[in-house]
Amino acid sequence: MEQNFTEIQQRVRHYWFKDGVGEIAVGGLFLALSLYFAGHYFAGTRFLPSISNAPLYIDMGLGVVLLLGIVLTRKFIAIFKTHITYPRTGYVEYYIESKNSLAARISIFIAGTLFVLLLIAIGRWVGSFKWIPAFLGIFFGLLLLFLRTKTSGLKRFIYHASTSILLGLVLTINSMPIPGLSVYYAIFGLWLMTWGGWILAKYLRENPLPNGEDDE
Amino acid sequence: MNDDLRSLTDLDRIIHEPARLLLMTILSSVVSADFLFLQRQTGLTKGNLSAHLSRLEEAGYVKIEKTFKGKLPLTVCKLTSSGQKALAKYRQQVQSFIEKTK
Repeated sequence: MEQNFTEIQQRVRHYWFKDGVGEIAVGGLFLALSLYFAGHYFAGTRFLPSISNAPLYIDMGLGVVLLLGIVLTRKFIAIFKTHITYPRTGYVEYYIESKNSLAARISIFIAGTLFVLLLIAIGRWVGSFKWIPAFLGIFFGLLLLFLRTKTSGLKRFIYHASTSILLGLVLTINSMPIPGLSVYYAIFGLWLMTWGGWILAKYLRENPLPNGEDDE
Repeated sequence: MNDDLRSLTDLDRIIHEPARLLLMTILSSVVSADFLFLQRQTGLTKGNLSAHLSRLEEAGYVKIEKTFKGKLPLTVCKLTSSGQKALAKYRQQVQSFIEKTK
């Protein structure tokens, strides 16, 4: 009995991931981060060394890329779901544990930025950034596994997590610190976008727009 | 009839109907859901779904509202607090019956 309740509730939670748009949007955000780190590597080491504090400005630019990226990602998902998903398979509003307040969003953004700055500070202190791709790969891998267990239960999240961890480890073993981050975000971003695109194509094929009848 | 079996007669008949139990369970895991989503998740026909939702609304377990998401018109259903309590009580009664009769 309880198992049936849980299965139904999990099926409802799966629905958010049914169209693959979340993966496409996060993949896009990762590609933006890849461009940022590529820019960080080339501009910071080759073109801007004469400008004082150039590395600091470039580090701060990460906050701007993240903030803009998160806002645009959320907007893209909301617009896509309103125009493509809800007319096909229906609208759902989920419970959000943080209550989605502005204070909660600002706190998450500040915590995220501090976390990244802490990683950069540790890297400078240790004198090496080699471990960062592996760290990020494992971090996102664990996050995806957590998401699978707590929210979705979808099998493809295991593939995403494995890819993230493997990619991070391979890039670290190959000693690619900053360009490694760019390569990590580029490959994993493309991986997510490809999966998302495939899921979306399948979703659109299986769920054509219903006839223009009233909804009751 | 022993007490264990008698406890089944106290079950809320409005929720006990399978389609309505499914609707209540779906609505218990979200803030709200629209008519189309509920129809696709339950596999009920429009007429059937409408009838069950009306029954749940009459009992005060579900609130039905017409709203818009952007320009998209939606008929949105929410579980009321009395609906949540009734579903929790129903689950507890059934669970307790299963435990006692194992």
